[in-house]
Amino acid sequence: MSLGAVVITLFSIVLALLLALLMIPVLVWLERRVAGLIQDRKGPNRTNVLGFRLGGVVQSFADVIKLVFKEEYYPKHIGKHEWLFIVAPSILFVCALLGFMVIPFADNLQLGTQSYPIQALPVDWGILWYLSIGSIGVMGVLFGGWVSHNKYALLGSQRATSLMLGYELPMGLSIVAMIITYQTIDFNTMVAWQSDTIWGFLPAWGIVVQPLATFIFIVTLFVETNRAPFNVAEGESEIVAGHMTEFSAMKFALYFMGEYIAMNSASAVIITLFFGGYQLPYLSTNDLFSHFDAIAIVLMLFLPIFIYYFIRWMHKNNAVNRTLSSDGGRAFETKVLTYTLIAMSLMIELVMVYLIMQPKESLAVGLGVMALQIAIFIAKLMLFNIFFIVVRWTLPRFRYDQVQKLGWNYLLPLALVNIFVTAIVVVALGA
Amino acid sequence: MKKNIKVIERYNVQWKHRIFIPAIIEGLTITAKHLLGNVNDINRMDVLEYPEEQPKDISGRYRGLHRLTHREDGGVACVACFMCASACPSECIFIEATQREDGVDEKMPQRFAIDTLECVFCGYCVEACPCDAIRMDTGIFSLIGNKREDFLLEKEQLLSHRGAFANENSIAKSGVASK
Repeated sequence: MSLGAVVITLFSIVLALLLALLMIPVLVWLERRVAGLIQDRKGPNRTNVLGFRLGGVVQSFADVIKLVFKEEYYPKHIGKHEWLFIVAPSILFVCALLGFMVIPFADNLQLGTQSYPIQALPVDWGILWYLSIGSIGVMGVLFGGWVSHNKYALLGSQRATSLMLGYELPMGLSIVAMIITYQTIDFNTMVAWQSDTIWGFLPAWGIVVQPLATFIFIVTLFVETNRAPFNVAEGESEIVAGHMTEFSAMKFALYFMGEYIAMNSASAVIITLFFGGYQLPYLSTNDLFSHFDAIAIVLMLFLPIFIYYFIRWMHKNNAVNRTLSSDGGRAFETKVLTYTLIAMSLMIELVMVYLIMQPKESLAVGLGVMALQIAIFIAKLMLFNIFFIVVRWTLPRFRYDQVQKLGWNYLLPLALVNIFVTAIVVVALGA
Repeated sequence: MKKNIKVIERYNVQWKHRIFIPAIIEGLTITAKHLLGNVNDINRMDVLEYPEEQPKDISGRYRGLHRLTHREDGGVACVACFMCASACPSECIFIEATQREDGVDEKMPQRFAIDTLECVFCGYCVEACPCDAIRMDTGIFSLIGNKREDFLLEKEQLLSHRGAFANENSIAKSGVASK
């Protein structure tokens, strides 16, 4: 293995870990903030480090410190199964994390004649990996509920089990339709397929080609990630906290963080399968390379405008109510952040200028395209995470038997019909 | 068994309700409007920046922390009749009565303590009091202490609380009423 391959592999792994793990505090904060804003409250916005609140994102780190220092408590009645009590949340956490590892964050990087995928786990059967690992994650919920020796926990894990039977089939079948369409099980090839257009003007994203499969897959992923409106295993109004009832401190935190990683992975898989992955519509990787100068100049023009409006927004909103006499250091924070943002955008502009002057085949341009695609991917990821969160704070929970009915009676036949239609169309088009 | 089950027919269930999706989209539009509007201008929300801003809309009927009222001469209005302690459902009022030597009244409390950790702020003591000697009109909604004993309010503390609204002194034991 050459040095380049080692560097790229390490880079991909670090990027995937950062995207998965650093996203947890952001998502936890985002969930609480979005919930607040939807309900016309402010949400956590006060915790600060040296007066810097950053909109309150520091809160999540304070929460983590609190959870780490809490007492490691084992209920007496679990007896000699303490080890399973630790293993159960770990299974959920690890599976959610591993599921994220096969997502391509950018197109393959060309180094000389070799091309290297920007995936932490560079396999070309990513969708199978995600399906299998994602399903194992439910085991964490089962074990957790079972070893708790608690009726609420047992009910919760029992619900998780029957839900798994309900949703796995439609999910797998909707994936089958996508595999028939893309004729591959490799995530990166799927994304490349979606960079085309159909009928000349529509981007060939999965949601355009397969709207039904998209719908089924998103619904079933809401069930798999145990998010509202399908969080019946947790069901806090009926069964306390379901499988998490007996868990405290870091063991609870593992469950909690695992759910957010699972949500993050689910968003990543959805955008990779159905929303063009790291691509912008109409701009395939080849287009990015061949028109790199033009795209870079457009970006250089748009970045200052975007930053200008962002700074204006920040000046308006990083302020306390006018009724208060003291602003608690918000003006100083806004000033520092403004200068930081201007400096950062200047740096990006300089990098762009440097990239434009490079020849098109150079490694620098390749890295620039990669950075652009990673940025697009992260933007889409955040958008979809926010969609998950908004859905949670909009819809009431489905009753447990309603979810079963939805899975077996409606989604499963729909997914089957979808496969037949897809297969007929693919054969008719003589693909 | 089956004849005891009453099945209620659902009415007006249309197709668009059965597939959920229009309703879901409608709901998402509402929440998204709130979200985007508040992101655009965070200070348009009518919220209280609590520790810095204190609520100004506490009404006279609000049951806040208790206080013992005074007579015209500044003495305690309470006559230690134990009505409040009898009425108290959480049994958190502790009274020790003593003879009143100055001739103003027959009895007065030697000790009058309320364990606010036990208290459920039901207001029965206020209603039971024949002398208007205990009231909950201080408007104080938070009590802070470092140990349990801090929440056991003694007579002196209860007397030191001021009423936030009208009628500082006991109406029943003021000079006008006693004549």
